[in-house]
Amino acid sequence: MFALALRSIRRRPGRFGATLLSAFLGAAIIMTFNSMHDTAGAKGVDATSAESLSTAAGVVGGYGTLLVFFAVASTLTVNVRQRSAEIELLRCSGATPAQIKRMVVGESVAVALVGALLAIGPAMLGGRLLLDLFQDSGQVAESVDYTFGTVALLSGIDITVLAAAGAAFLAVRRATRKTGPRGRGRTFFARASLILGGLSVCSTFAFSSTAAALMAPAAYGAILLAVGFALLSPKLLKALLDRLPLTGPSGYLAVRTMRERAAQLSGVLMPLILFTGMATATLYMQAVENDAIDASGVPKSIDAKNLETLNLVVVGIIVVFSCIMLINSLYAATTYRRREFGQQRLAGATPGQVLGMIGIESLVLTVTGVFFGTAAGLAGIIPFTMVRTDSVLPDEGLGIWFGIVGVAAAAVLVTSLVTARRALRTPAVGAVSLAA
Amino acid sequence: MFRRTDRRNHEHGTGPAAEALRLVKVTKTYGGEENAVTALDGVTLALPRGTFTAVMGPSGSGKSTLLQCAAGLDRPDSGIVVVDGAEMTGGTEAELTKFRRNRIGFVFQQYNLLDTLTVAQNTILPLKLARRRVDRARVAEILTAVGLGDRLGHRPDQLSGGQRQRVAIARALVTEPSVIFADEPTGALDTRSARDVLRLLQEAVRVHGRTVVMVTHDPVAASYADSVLFLADGRLAGEMHRPTVDAVAERLAHLGDDVMAGV
Repeated sequence: MFALALRSIRRRPGRFGATLLSAFLGAAIIMTFNSMHDTAGAKGVDATSAESLSTAAGVVGGYGTLLVFFAVASTLTVNVRQRSAEIELLRCSGATPAQIKRMVVGESVAVALVGALLAIGPAMLGGRLLLDLFQDSGQVAESVDYTFGTVALLSGIDITVLAAAGAAFLAVRRATRKTGPRGRGRTFFARASLILGGLSVCSTFAFSSTAAALMAPAAYGAILLAVGFALLSPKLLKALLDRLPLTGPSGYLAVRTMRERAAQLSGVLMPLILFTGMATATLYMQAVENDAIDASGVPKSIDAKNLETLNLVVVGIIVVFSCIMLINSLYAATTYRRREFGQQRLAGATPGQVLGMIGIESLVLTVTGVFFGTAAGLAGIIPFTMVRTDSVLPDEGLGIWFGIVGVAAAAVLVTSLVTARRALRTPAVGAVSLAA
Repeated sequence: MFRRTDRRNHEHGTGPAAEALRLVKVTKTYGGEENAVTALDGVTLALPRGTFTAVMGPSGSGKSTLLQCAAGLDRPDSGIVVVDGAEMTGGTEAELTKFRRNRIGFVFQQYNLLDTLTVAQNTILPLKLARRRVDRARVAEILTAVGLGDRLGHRPDQLSGGQRQRVAIARALVTEPSVIFADEPTGALDTRSARDVLRLLQEAVRVHGRTVVMVTHDPVAASYADSVLFLADGRLAGEMHRPTVDAVAERLAHLGDDVMAGV
């Protein structure tokens, strides 16, 4: 079965593009930050520099791992679901579920491995830039040399491959098991992440207002809550769709199609919610932190600077990473619907009506994603602000939030509409006869 | 939101045309200059209202192209297509779609039902897309007539091939089109389901007064039609009225000879 897996990758490299991209980016992020561990562990690094580096690697490496895990998992889930026809064909040709599992997991591991290996070069470059950043801000001594060692290499490859294997296993198990209880695992994971996230957010109250790591539990909590919301989102999406007063032809199609596809849309909602939640939480917490330091009248300490650099780097990475994941999964999901669009056109939908449907779907997705992302972000911001200052909400206005929402909406709308337009270029008759 | 009611105020003429479909010198060529393949070579034909016509021919004879050009799914290189007295002019896909909506219904070999919609929703989809009023009682009546009155809430993947094709026929009937085009409607069905589907197409003509054009390679399916048009190498190669299975099979077997002799 592994031979079949390798052959299917070789024959259709394009299909694995989305998985490869997410594995590559994920591994690059993990390796970049974990190479700070290697750098800190090298001989002749002074204690302060080593601590700055280890904090960076520990905190962001932690976030990063979690993010990468969910990103790779959601891409793979979309990928496996799109291959249900092929999997069905293999079942009919006499492949046992175990064989299919081995094939899909084997493929995913092979692709993830390639992605991780490709990421080594860019990660070394990124790590060097990160070290320069720390050195420029004076948090790390100029004498420290960059090291890319075993910690970076092993953690990057291990996490990416494990995430891919685990996600592929779960996705293919869903695909090969026709009957039986569905969604129990999902509900379990959703509850677990919501509970853990809630605990993490609440544990913020246990820290003193000046603790250096005050932001960490709030940020971790926000990520976990975002994941939990993303897993629960199909149910809530359905509830929302039942109440939408959309009557036009495009609205009619959008509502009915989305209600059926709600479960699949959580793969797209995951990066959207993570993006909104993390960007909101980190940017507002940093703003609160800056105000608190200004108010205390003490010049910024190295630690505070360290944290600010880190937060801005984190937000930068999360913005780029989630945005790419969002575009990636939306592109894959929309391209896959070429046949469906063809069928709608044959039933009498004009290309404009199909695009209208996609536009409405994108708006509903954006609103849902932004709503849950903001909820997750607020859950992190409020405890942090309460502990750090005397107020409940940050003094900053909604400007930052509008910026974040704008980016999210633009990414969803532009990707969906551009991909759908391209899919509509195939004549309708050709689109429905294409092998999916 | 606003909702427009019946838009079918017959933009295309006052009285009903006698011919449901007319093709004049329709030509279609695929491929570039070097390896051009002429799929349709100046086909001219006229089908009266309320007739059931089968189009037959060997693979590559141009029968699918004929259907696609006549149904406005593809644009002919030259020639005129007139549906129910209205000439189909080129233009954007949106214009062609609007032209098709009220005049043409489809039944495909692969059904082309939307998996995300129920039987009832699939059936009324063309009306919704055209912003036409949905007469629920009429829809239920049509679905009952095709034997699916108790399956309105099912999804296509819960139905057999024959049942799916019957939904497709109901969907083609609901807009009350002038012409229903059927492309190998029984190609994926067992004999019993195929017979049901063919009887429904006959009823569409006899009971509902539609005009049906069916592309098929199966002499049994063709024998349900009122007449058969034979196509070879992109040209009309004969016509047969009141076809029988044996006569059609015989004619089909010697279709190549006629063309050879004609060269």
